[in-house]
Amino acid sequence: MNKPLTFMMGKFAAVLPADRRYCRNHMWCLQSDGVLRFGFTTYAVRLMQDVYFLDWEVNPGDALALNHKVGHIETSKAMSDLFAPIAGTLVRLNAELLNDPSAINVDNHGQGWLFEMTAVSDAETLSVQEYHDFLAAGWEKTQNMLKGHM
Amino acid sequence: MSRHRITVVLSQAQGKHPAKRALEESIVAALLMEPGLEVSVIPHLYDLGPDHTGRRFLGSVRGDMVLLSWLFPRAAFWVLDRDGIKGQWGETQLKPPADDDEEETGEPQPAKGIGSLDVPDRTIYCLDLRDFNQHQPYVDEIRRVAEEGKVRAEAKQRERAPAPIVQLGLNLRNGDTPVADALGSPNGAPGSPNGAPGFTADQLLQAPGRRWYPVIDYSRCTNCMECIDFCLFGVYGVDEHERLNVENQDNCKKGCPACSRVCPEQAIMFPDYKTPAIAGAPIGAIGNLKIDLTKLFGGAEKDALSQAVEERDRELVADGRQAVGTAVGLPKRQEHKQEKPKDDLDNLIDALDALEL
Ligand code: SF4
Ligand code: SF4
Repeated sequence: MNKPLTFMMGKFAAVLPADRRYCRNHMWCLQSDGVLRFGFTTYAVRLMQDVYFLDWEVNPGDALALNHKVGHIETSKAMSDLFAPIAGTLVRLNAELLNDPSAINVDNHGQGWLFEMTAVSDAETLSVQEYHDFLAAGWEKTQNMLKGHM
Repeated sequence: MSRHRITVVLSQAQGKHPAKRALEESIVAALLMEPGLEVSVIPHLYDLGPDHTGRRFLGSVRGDMVLLSWLFPRAAFWVLDRDGIKGQWGETQLKPPADDDEEETGEPQPAKGIGSLDVPDRTIYCLDLRDFNQHQPYVDEIRRVAEEGKVRAEAKQRERAPAPIVQLGLNLRNGDTPVADALGSPNGAPGSPNGAPGFTADQLLQAPGRRWYPVIDYSRCTNCMECIDFCLFGVYGVDEHERLNVENQDNCKKGCPACSRVCPEQAIMFPDYKTPAIAGAPIGAIGNLKIDLTKLFGGAEKDALSQAVEERDRELVADGRQAVGTAVGLPKRQEHKQEKPKDDLDNLIDALDALEL
């Protein structure tokens, strides 16, 4: 297996496993049996900190456009609307998270997955190297954005 | 004898949210049991126009005041200030349920803003009704504030010895507010909600229309005038002291918070905006402040400035005018941005780093 990459957020090392693909909205994407499973990257989790609350506005079977709003998340540090990382059909939401979203913090690459979709193409997704470069290119801006919100 | 009077005003939520109404009612009910308090209820403070009875009532209040509202305290305080209801900032000890980590980040920084003018010697405390969903913490805090006010008043009295003629705290010369003719009016029974002298509950609670305008935090505003340059809708102006002034409040475009993103001091608040930082959340209270990551997670990252420009263009076009993009009224501060010393707001990333994961 390929070696994971690491992106430095200040002093914090966000590890990016190389066994999966990535999306610009800071989700990872893992294919198995024809469905794509998505979850937050360590980078996203680091910015959000402890997840308190997760809410979905879509249902399995819904056809989603890229960046279609799918839900909302609230954490100890942040809140955000959530968007579809690619165009496709929603297959399944991780029901466990609705009772207890803490898996997102504890195991964001595993038990803390968010939802599954089928898609015509995953051309929108990035390789781990591309995602790493994407983070590096946006880091300055991201820090400014965070400051702009404070 | 000096009886310290404190006025408590509860500003209701917009709409008729049942849980919010229930909290409001239980607070008022509990406060009625407290001695020495005047309790009144008014609609959402931010929406009150100059002619609203609730606002005239606020203007008639002398002495210390506690305002409970569904606004950030900083926003509520400066809305009052703008309405001419001024006082010293009362530091509340009411804090939302411990967000345990880094409470101390909220160290007050020395005020670098131009401040407010003609501030009378009384204290206004603003409490945020979103902090707790039970009345008890509010009642406890109001008791504490009343006690604090009493101690302060007594200390002042001693200073002023020999004892002056007893001041009732009423300004009889102030003929343009209804308080003068309303003194001692029978419906002013102390301790009844909306027992404000001369104001009936119906008048006080008359539903105002919704309003939308920027509110300036003069403890932060440095009078740099960037907002005047940026806004193309004639909202801003300067007053007779050459100080920035929100001249035409109702020219502002509903839902547009563009200029708050342009202000280098985070001095412009839109109290009803969804993002806490723009709605007037406490500066530097990183532990309590939620960052809005929507832009980041939507895949489209935009910095505050381009967002402001986009928002302004949208409003220009909606007005049948030409979009101007970045061509007009953009801050010149961009080039020397890096030199600015770090303030609380710049420390977010450092603060994140300091946390144990
Ligand atoms: S941009 Fe901000 S600091 Fe400058 S004058 Fe306007 S409100 Fe004040
Ligand atoms: S929000 Fe827009 S219209 Fe309102 S004051 Fe600011 S720039 Fe002007």
